[in-house]
Amino acid sequence: METVPIDSKNVYYPPGGILMWIIIFLELFTFGMALVAMVYYGSLERELFHESRLLLNASYGAVNTVFLLTSGFFMAKSVMELKRQEVAKSIRYLSLTMFLGLCFLVLKGIEYSLKIEAGLDMNYNLFFTFYWALTIFHVIHVLVGLIILGVSTYNLKRNPAKVDLIDIEAGAAFWHMCDLIWLLLFPIIYLIF
Amino acid sequence: MKQINIIWGLLMVLTFATAFVSGSEISYAALLIIGIAVLKFVFVSFEFMELRKAHILWKYLVLGFLGIFSMLILFIL
Repeated sequence: METVPIDSKNVYYPPGGILMWIIIFLELFTFGMALVAMVYYGSLERELFHESRLLLNASYGAVNTVFLLTSGFFMAKSVMELKRQEVAKSIRYLSLTMFLGLCFLVLKGIEYSLKIEAGLDMNYNLFFTFYWALTIFHVIHVLVGLIILGVSTYNLKRNPAKVDLIDIEAGAAFWHMCDLIWLLLFPIIYLIF
Repeated sequence: MKQINIIWGLLMVLTFATAFVSGSEISYAALLIIGIAVLKFVFVSFEFMELRKAHILWKYLVLGFLGIFSMLILFIL
């Protein structure tokens, strides 16, 4: 495996790579502005947003937070093991990361189907327009993250000698970004109104 | 390796704390919920993403984003 030593203290080489961090900031800014807009409209229609928020099941959101944070924990462990040349352990942690990512998607799917059955679709009211738009956009990121991690796992299993640590770190940074976005979405959509 | 396990434990505790705060009648609950979210965000970015090993500019950018975002949310609320 290629493990060229990288000086992370160098401004051009943050962990995961500078391009990934530019993407992370763009994503955080996009979701951040949308959440600020949601809170702004929520402040104009407090009762509507409060009653709509009560139609969500915060327990699903909390369990999904546990899924994503734990998958991020395994991702970090996977990168650490890879740095120590422990490829088998790294693959095991990567598999756990993806499993918990899938658990997140399954629970989100159950939540979505219950909402659709109850008629709480995107056009129900402004709160649910934000709910669907933001959470689906996030789910797309989780799906892309799973594909990246799947390719990384495949490459590590097939030919670990050709895998570059920087690529795995970049994939890990993308996965952690999904965590970070969820950490902003969960309290605002499920709890504060 | 041990430190990251502790961070995961703290993140779980904070997640349960959020659930407790949101289910209670505590005044300033929104402030607490946003505060806990900010703390979790810092733990994930600095420990899991190893931002603490990065150049100080990246740390300031993340903390700056968090500061502006949380202030805006709390100001509008």
